[in-house]
Amino acid sequence: MTGTAAQVRFLLVRNLREGVRNPVLAYGLPVVIPLAMLVLVATTLSRVTDLPGFPTDNYAEWMAPAIIMLSAMTGVGYAATSLVVDIQSGFLDRLRLLDAKPSALLLSRLLFDVVRVLPAGAALLVVAVLLGTDLKEGVLGIVVLFLLLFLWAAAYGGLYFVIALTTRNAQAPLALAPLFLPLQFLSTQFVPRTILPGWVQGVSAWNPFTYMVDAARALTTGPLTLAPVAKAVAVALGLLVVTQVASRWAFDRAVDSH
Amino acid sequence: MTLTTPFDAAIEVHELAKRYEPAGVDALVDVSFSVGHGEIFGLLGRNGAGKSTTVRILTTLLRPSGGSAKVQGMDIVADPGGVRRALGVALQGAALDELMTGREHLVLAGRLVSLDAGAARSRAAELLDTFGLSGAADRIAARYSGGMRRRLDVAMAMVRDPPVLFLDEPTTGLDPQSRRALWDLIRRYRQQGAAVFLTTQYLAEADELADRVAIVHEGRIVALGTPADLKDRFGATTIRLRCPAPDAEAQIQALAGADAAQRDDAGWIVLAVGGGEAAVPDLVGRLTASGPAIERLAVVPPTLEDVFVTLTGTGVEAGSGSADDTSLSAVRRGMGVSTGGGR
Repeated sequence: MTGTAAQVRFLLVRNLREGVRNPVLAYGLPVVIPLAMLVLVATTLSRVTDLPGFPTDNYAEWMAPAIIMLSAMTGVGYAATSLVVDIQSGFLDRLRLLDAKPSALLLSRLLFDVVRVLPAGAALLVVAVLLGTDLKEGVLGIVVLFLLLFLWAAAYGGLYFVIALTTRNAQAPLALAPLFLPLQFLSTQFVPRTILPGWVQGVSAWNPFTYMVDAARALTTGPLTLAPVAKAVAVALGLLVVTQVASRWAFDRAVDSH
Repeated sequence: MTLTTPFDAAIEVHELAKRYEPAGVDALVDVSFSVGHGEIFGLLGRNGAGKSTTVRILTTLLRPSGGSAKVQGMDIVADPGGVRRALGVALQGAALDELMTGREHLVLAGRLVSLDAGAARSRAAELLDTFGLSGAADRIAARYSGGMRRRLDVAMAMVRDPPVLFLDEPTTGLDPQSRRALWDLIRRYRQQGAAVFLTTQYLAEADELADRVAIVHEGRIVALGTPADLKDRFGATTIRLRCPAPDAEAQIQALAGADAAQRDDAGWIVLAVGGGEAAVPDLVGRLTASGPAIERLAVVPPTLEDVFVTLTGTGVEAGSGSADDTSLSAVRRGMGVSTGGGR
């Protein structure tokens, strides 16, 4: 019997191929909203930087690292929806009868959610540089930034697996995709913590996205310190573990009981 | 494929039961049968009779609430992994990935069941050829016709050359030509020594393809045997006569002692023969000796549909159960009034 790693590979190839044949949803969605937001915000709200205490005079530079992390959230749910479609169509039963392991089925889908943020993140990085973002922390910062982006995509995407598998409704992840909107506003994406109203400062400390934004800035525009990166990795890993345990539980129930 | 096998039967089912909670619906009640190697076994029943539940349990996708079953000697509950490795399964509805080509489907299946890359590719090419899909091999499934989808579906079930093949309504929705082509493939597979378990709601399909048939009704097996055996036991032979005399019907009825002589719209008198085919010569002798003048006469053998109606009360596709009896069903068939599908 094939090992789990090999099965993940076969099934991931299937998902990647599907993505190429359905490129708008698979690869377009993660990039479209962040790209529009970066360009629009940088041009229309450029004077935000005049606020007292704002750390930079280029608003695009302030927004770019946060928006790269956002690309893991705007197109979220594609893999989770595909998994529910597989369950509903009976294709998942077929894969299980062909010895596919539950862990391979879940992991191959989750990894696809990770892979699809790569082109989005890269495109956003290029645009950020074009808009004058100074990548002070260099290549190392960018490499770690992308590793964190992948981890965040897996952790945040996992939430949508739980939603999809619990409701067994292929539309549910789509309906809950706008969750990124409040998470954005309740984080340090738009302005530094000190400028946020007091209650939002409090909420933002409980918002995992805040930690991604802070780490992304440390890794790109600097200054790079260990603390924000370590915190972000810990938060994303924690969310990943919780969502993976929950989605495995929901998966077993979804394929077992009917 | 291993032809020499230590197992007496490919599939052994003993008092299998499935109760769906919390509704408390009994989908299967004490179902027992066995399927041998080199045998095509047909499970015949209306929608909702329990066919798919049986398939899902025997293929380890659903847990039974009672009873036991073995596939190739392995218990379906204790060793689901082992059972799956002995199975090829095509479930109802041809589940395919719309964005994958036929070849990609088969290669993925081959890889998952542990063929190496080269073996998976050559197995895929072989099956595409066998199932007449070589020309469409690199087209995505979304562009396949219904018949092509079904063939790919069954081809996928055969990737690991399984000793036991499950096909859940494999020909539903197929045109007659595609259906015959699939029957041929299934027969060839049996020839190799495989056990084939198929469900169908087409009576003619069960009659022609299956070596043995079980009729399932409301979760219970109400009859089991070869099609010929079932027709002998539960079917009725009819005689169709054309007589010019307007009162011929009554005369025939009096002579035959049969209670179901009727005249159909086309003017044929249709008569159910109580004693089966053995009683036909004597009856025809009496009719020609002392009955009304006969212009034409045809003997119509019993069909599985009569059997089905006798045992379940209605035709395969009929919804409600008015309790037609065998001879009435036979008469209606003779009159060209179909009581259900699969004619």
